[in-house]
Amino acid sequence: MSSPPLASSAPVRRALSGPALIGLVAAVVVTVALPVFTSGYVVYIANLLLVFVVLCLGLHIVIGETGQFSMAHAAFYGIGIYASALANRAVDLPYPVAMLFGALVAGAVGLVIGALALRMRDIYLALATFAFGEAMQWVFANWDSVTNGPNGLRISPARFGPIEILSDKQAYPFVLFFCLVMIGLTVAISRSRLGRSFRAVRESEVAAMAMGIDVRRARIVSFGLSAAIAGFAGGMFGLFQTFIHPDSLGFQTTILVLTMVVVGGLGSIAGAIGGAIVFGLISEVLRQAPQYQEIIYGAILILFMMYAPRGLFAFIGDRIREARHGR
Amino acid sequence: MAVFALPPFPDLSIGPDMDLQLALIFLQQGIASGLVSGSVYALLALAIVVIFKTSDVPNFAQGEVFMAAGYVALYLFVFQKMPIWVVLPATLVVAFLAMALFRRFVLDQVAKSAKDLVYLVIATLGLSYVLKGLVRRTGFGDTPRSFPALVPTDSIMIGQASVTMLDLAIFGTAVTVMAAFFWMFNYTKTGRAMRAVGMNPKAAQLVGVDLRRCHMLIWGLSGVISAIAALLISPKILMTADMGSIVMLAFAAAIVGGFSSLPGAVVGGFVIGIVENMVGLFISSRAIVLAPFLAILIVLVLRPQGLFGGKLTIKKV
Repeated sequence: MSSPPLASSAPVRRALSGPALIGLVAAVVVTVALPVFTSGYVVYIANLLLVFVVLCLGLHIVIGETGQFSMAHAAFYGIGIYASALANRAVDLPYPVAMLFGALVAGAVGLVIGALALRMRDIYLALATFAFGEAMQWVFANWDSVTNGPNGLRISPARFGPIEILSDKQAYPFVLFFCLVMIGLTVAISRSRLGRSFRAVRESEVAAMAMGIDVRRARIVSFGLSAAIAGFAGGMFGLFQTFIHPDSLGFQTTILVLTMVVVGGLGSIAGAIGGAIVFGLISEVLRQAPQYQEIIYGAILILFMMYAPRGLFAFIGDRIREARHGR
Repeated sequence: MAVFALPPFPDLSIGPDMDLQLALIFLQQGIASGLVSGSVYALLALAIVVIFKTSDVPNFAQGEVFMAAGYVALYLFVFQKMPIWVVLPATLVVAFLAMALFRRFVLDQVAKSAKDLVYLVIATLGLSYVLKGLVRRTGFGDTPRSFPALVPTDSIMIGQASVTMLDLAIFGTAVTVMAAFFWMFNYTKTGRAMRAVGMNPKAAQLVGVDLRRCHMLIWGLSGVISAIAALLISPKILMTADMGSIVMLAFAAAIVGGFSSLPGAVVGGFVIGIVENMVGLFISSRAIVLAPFLAILIVLVLRPQGLFGGKLTIKKV
């Protein structure tokens, strides 16, 4: 895989002036104050969107930064959900411990998959990870004694010391907090030496190798990190959800996350976040018209690939620039 | 901690003391049924590989093209009551046009605005959703139906395996179609142009191959092959909008065959068909679903370029 466009921070900085800044502040205020003035349903959607933001960050690490086509994201997410829910049930510790456990288990599986996938490229990698994802869904649905199989697993309420989380509104601040932590973590990774080695691998493995980057290590680590972040998103899911069913952990979910990352713009963190929110909202609206859902989904993917492969935000930015220059 | 004491996996073990006689009958039946379903996987694998060979794109919509073609035939035959000699060619023409036009108007545009192959792959994912959504929208998929069999389904015994006339017809047609395609691909001028595009598109263009036309033709033919696969198998299965998931077995077959070798895809199709039936007969029907994915994983981990694939090449800068 060669080069999705590089994310540079310059346009971000430029955009953070004047009206854009006001918009950002407004967005922050709305986000923070959300549970105060809206219904439980809206908060539930917000929680879900935040989880999807984190899922997109995970996929961004492996696809956007390192250029490895992983199609097993839903599997890592599921491992995180089950692992943290089971840990939470088994031991009486604050919920973040269970979340970390979920992230660790998913990350460990991700490292193994990353190591197995070392020799594969492009299409083979996509198919192998796809097969792994499907196999994991089968395991979720058939390992009755652990996952309760096709009946789904009840997730017991999360506890933070004396506080027990019983509603979406209660969960919201925690979900928001963890989401922000993950955004910070992803930015930190992206700006670190490790992140630069990821992008070098994406641009050219041969050139990266020539510069002394351990390509194998970079690929394995990016798989592990991506899986761990997805697993952590699974733990966040357990904060406000009381039930998980293996049906929701299949290829559909992987494609949903992939669509979000693509709609936002492959290769940029802001794109991954924005894509998760914009497309998350779109798919929530589409839920009202289930008979058109798949068609619209597919059409969005196709149209974006045809006319805006760099993502929604780059597309809008280009149009604005064109308008300004009177073209 | 309870979490770490992992309870056992679902029981997939072979039944106790299956006697030899029975095992032999199962073996023969497995091979016979495997060759029949395998011929359909082989066709689909061929359709996938011929596209991959020439465009480097794994078409994730192949299963949905197969499914949609089956529904076109069902619609024309059962709902419009058209005679079968109209239905068959009409279905093939629709499949050809749909794929050729998708290549021409969608993928060419994607290729123009983005250099990366990933974007083409995602566009095929989009197509798979659109086709599935369209078929669901028509409502024909709400009740699972079968396409009426055109060949008698009386069973006959070959050795100790029981097969139907329909099975034989499926196998025979599939092999004929594959043979015809090989001949076209290897021995005609059009086929040579296709192979040239697969090896080096720029060079092919330089020697006078019309790239756009060639790609349209390949995608169209791939659609036709998928449509034939659908026509062959749809009397034997219950059709639903999700029947395209059968394509996973074709992907597994293509991978076993090295993903860029046409004979490999065909051999892979038969191997997967037989393995699938053996797993069903000897291990458990629950494991059947998992078999193709495990096959893909195992083959790719051991030989990342597939069983019949050539040397792995690393893309330079």
